[in-house]
Amino acid sequence: MSADITRRKFIRDATATTAALSMPTFLEACGASRSAAGGTMPSESNAGHNPFADVFGIDDGIIRRTLAALSSRGADQADLYFQHSLSSSLVYQDGIVSQASTSIDLGVGLRCVVGDQTGYAYTEELTEKAMRDAAQTAALIARGKAAVGPQQIRHTGLRKGFYSTKVPWRDVGIDKKLPIIRRAAELAHRRDPAVKKVEIRWSDGESRVMIATLNGTVVYDERPMARMYVTVTAEKGGKTQSNSANIAGRRGLEFFTEAQLELVTKQAVDRTMILFEAGRPPAGEMPVVLAAGPSGILLHEAIGHGMEADFNRKGVSIYSEMMGKKVAEEFVTIVDDGTLEYERGAINIDDEGNPAQRTVLVDKGYLRTYMHDEISAKQYRANPTGSGRRQSFRHSPMPRMRCTFMEDGPHSREEIIAGAKNGILAETFLNGQVQIGAGDYTFYIKNGYRIEDGKVTEPIKDINIIGNGPETLRKITMAAADGHLDTGGWTCGKNGQSVPVSQGIPTVLVSALTVGGEDA
Amino acid sequence: MPDKATLLKRAEHAVELSKKAGAADAWAVAKQQRSVDTEYRDGKLEKVQESTAQKLSVRLYVSGRYSTHETTDLRPVSLRSFIAQAVALTRHIEKDPYRTIPDAALFKDRPRVNLGIVDEKVSRISPNDRLAWCRELYRATRGSDKIISSTVGVYDSASRMAAASSNGFSGTRDATSLWMGGEVTLRGEGGKRPEGYYYAGGTGFEHVPNRQALGKLALREATRRLGAIKGPTKRATMIVEARAAGRLLSQLLGAASAYHFSQDRSFWKNAMGKAVVSKKLSITDEPLLRGGSGSRHFDDEGISARSLPIIDKGVLTNIYVDTYYGKKIDMAPTTGARSNWVLPIGNRSYEQLVNDAGSGVIVSSWLGGNADATTGDFSFGVRGHLVEQGEVTKPVGEMNVTGNLLKLFGKLVALGNDPWPYGPTRAPTLIFEDVQFSGA
Repeated sequence: MSADITRRKFIRDATATTAALSMPTFLEACGASRSAAGGTMPSESNAGHNPFADVFGIDDGIIRRTLAALSSRGADQADLYFQHSLSSSLVYQDGIVSQASTSIDLGVGLRCVVGDQTGYAYTEELTEKAMRDAAQTAALIARGKAAVGPQQIRHTGLRKGFYSTKVPWRDVGIDKKLPIIRRAAELAHRRDPAVKKVEIRWSDGESRVMIATLNGTVVYDERPMARMYVTVTAEKGGKTQSNSANIAGRRGLEFFTEAQLELVTKQAVDRTMILFEAGRPPAGEMPVVLAAGPSGILLHEAIGHGMEADFNRKGVSIYSEMMGKKVAEEFVTIVDDGTLEYERGAINIDDEGNPAQRTVLVDKGYLRTYMHDEISAKQYRANPTGSGRRQSFRHSPMPRMRCTFMEDGPHSREEIIAGAKNGILAETFLNGQVQIGAGDYTFYIKNGYRIEDGKVTEPIKDINIIGNGPETLRKITMAAADGHLDTGGWTCGKNGQSVPVSQGIPTVLVSALTVGGEDA
Repeated sequence: MPDKATLLKRAEHAVELSKKAGAADAWAVAKQQRSVDTEYRDGKLEKVQESTAQKLSVRLYVSGRYSTHETTDLRPVSLRSFIAQAVALTRHIEKDPYRTIPDAALFKDRPRVNLGIVDEKVSRISPNDRLAWCRELYRATRGSDKIISSTVGVYDSASRMAAASSNGFSGTRDATSLWMGGEVTLRGEGGKRPEGYYYAGGTGFEHVPNRQALGKLALREATRRLGAIKGPTKRATMIVEARAAGRLLSQLLGAASAYHFSQDRSFWKNAMGKAVVSKKLSITDEPLLRGGSGSRHFDDEGISARSLPIIDKGVLTNIYVDTYYGKKIDMAPTTGARSNWVLPIGNRSYEQLVNDAGSGVIVSSWLGGNADATTGDFSFGVRGHLVEQGEVTKPVGEMNVTGNLLKLFGKLVALGNDPWPYGPTRAPTLIFEDVQFSGA
């Protein structure tokens, strides 16, 4: 069989079928029209038109009637979150790409909000009846009179936004991906003769969302995502070590250039080979230099979660009563931004339909803004910050980070390392966690170095760092002008929901953190 | 929810379609789940979420090639197209000599014992029940003037799955789940807002303790955190409470699999049949445990369930072997995925163990941290209490514990008589000697 039968066809047909079959009931009732083959979406479309009519097979009448059912017992806010996601993955292992998988996910989440109370239900069946049943379930949270539903539906256009790709992933054949994966494997094997195994996990896809709110506005977004995850195992002197690196973003096929493949395989191999030389630093409190880029994980854990407004409106965050106060040195400005092109954390609109924005959490050392969803914004009488996100139509939104970073500071990397005197330099990370109320947070360092007498010395590995958020902010005593975002992709988990995020930071010095080292 | 026969037909139909589309072999799983998540905070309902989910997944074996696919769109015409395209796609990846459908001989002798994982009463819970229970839990959490917020919750679900294969496998599994508990945040010192939580549950009502007690335990967990200090940097005895043992054991056994062996990414790799950890440690994978959250009659590959000793008195006796990776490393399949873990029970209570330890650090929960599957090197954040002169004294936090998993479990000196009854790991309090802590 020719290699022309591609994933494009596979997914397209499935999509077209999906749309065609979800419609008969209302097609007859409403006479909505459907364009020819489903699948391709215009990158721009005019307002007033539903660009995803084919994808979901939902017309204005259904939206209006479902919103009416959802707000039939009253609602301050109600929304329908339609989502159609297609994803595929490939695995290279032991020299071949012999594992493939695909997933089709389609459904609608229905939310009814009264004050800070939420009723939520979803259905994977996009018939009017299934949606009405789900709406009635979600509406049970309310106990009042029917809210005024939308009389007219207003469609906003599908914007080009922060992450347009040349070709949507659903139209990219497996034949285009295989050579890229094989090339990466070759580069990784070539980089060091000690490399014994290379595993590459590739994933791509896109999610199309359509959000209809009680005021009758319907907004759209199409969100691509791609990731290449390279794991290397090497053998040297009878010992085995493994490590990994990944590149990720809201990207299309064009992202995976030779230069990107070289970057990710170099990272994976170099981070593995250095482990043969690495040991543990001493245990206890010491100065920690966080290398530019991936160390943005510090911001995510030490302050980011604590600034999500849901934790603050409930009073359970350690930052609950610190708004407007000085929390860090003047050179510390920390931002959460959903508008950075092609980042994993980028969103054109959040999952409540609000436009993404740049939110300054800490402005020149002062705590400035929480990250809000609609519920918290209302409570704080603030504007939503475009931070209401959800994992999928199966979940209700809450304030989440997007791309969290710190702006450049006045020092140089050399000054910072010299300033640390005796401590560690942290370079790569696997994961982190925080306790919102106590403020204690941790992150796990996979690779780093010891700093002795102001100089970078032996490599170190596998140590957990633990600190307290507000205390750590106060202890950021130096920051360099070399800030950038991590090239690897991150996923943030909160209350059982995962969302893609990004992070970055310049080189900073934290004057004291507890390092999970080992004393001889 | 569709009955078992309907769900099984759905899976069989998918296998049939796959064969018709050209697959040499196929495996299909149809799932259905209904769940309700109720959250109640500070005197009123916070969130009620109702879910009814369905999914069909297929594993396709097409002329020496393999792929997996899943969809939530189960309408007949969609499904036919989905499967036909999936089979076509499979032809474009590389042939794999190790990939075969699981051997039908492994389906034989499927146990029939009642697993006790379905509680009919769970499916009859009403919205009023949930609200009443939330109120009861909530009232029980209110026993301190330091409370900033308390949130309680009830989660219940019923799930059903059916699987069928082209080489004769056919099976269904029903299960229910019920969890309740709460979390409390208190006003602490220095602007800190220490939190504590306690959730309990399992496959039905018999696993959920009295709601009064449960609410009080949540409050107690938060109260225990008041005045936490950073503990010392030192080597000391580590007392891992039963509730925290599961995470540590997951790290220990995470790499005990044919997948990790085949990729040379397991610190267990040369340990098969050898005594590599303390003789006090035995861990059995027990799929037939009555009422166990992980209990089952067969696994993902249809392999009939049986008790599988992973570690027996410190000796690695079995690892998790599925069909594919088993072929790669020339080992017969055991099962590819864990069920319940059962550990032997010691004869001393938690209080006696603490008393006998004399001094050390109690770990009641972990914060972050990780372990390297290839080397076993680990480092975790911990919170808990100091033990001084046989007594539990100050709460501690902002500490790490660091070492190597094999070495750590070599220093396991005692187990308590208090296995954690909730969830799939039945492990008691674990005592380790000479563990590196880092703190102030």
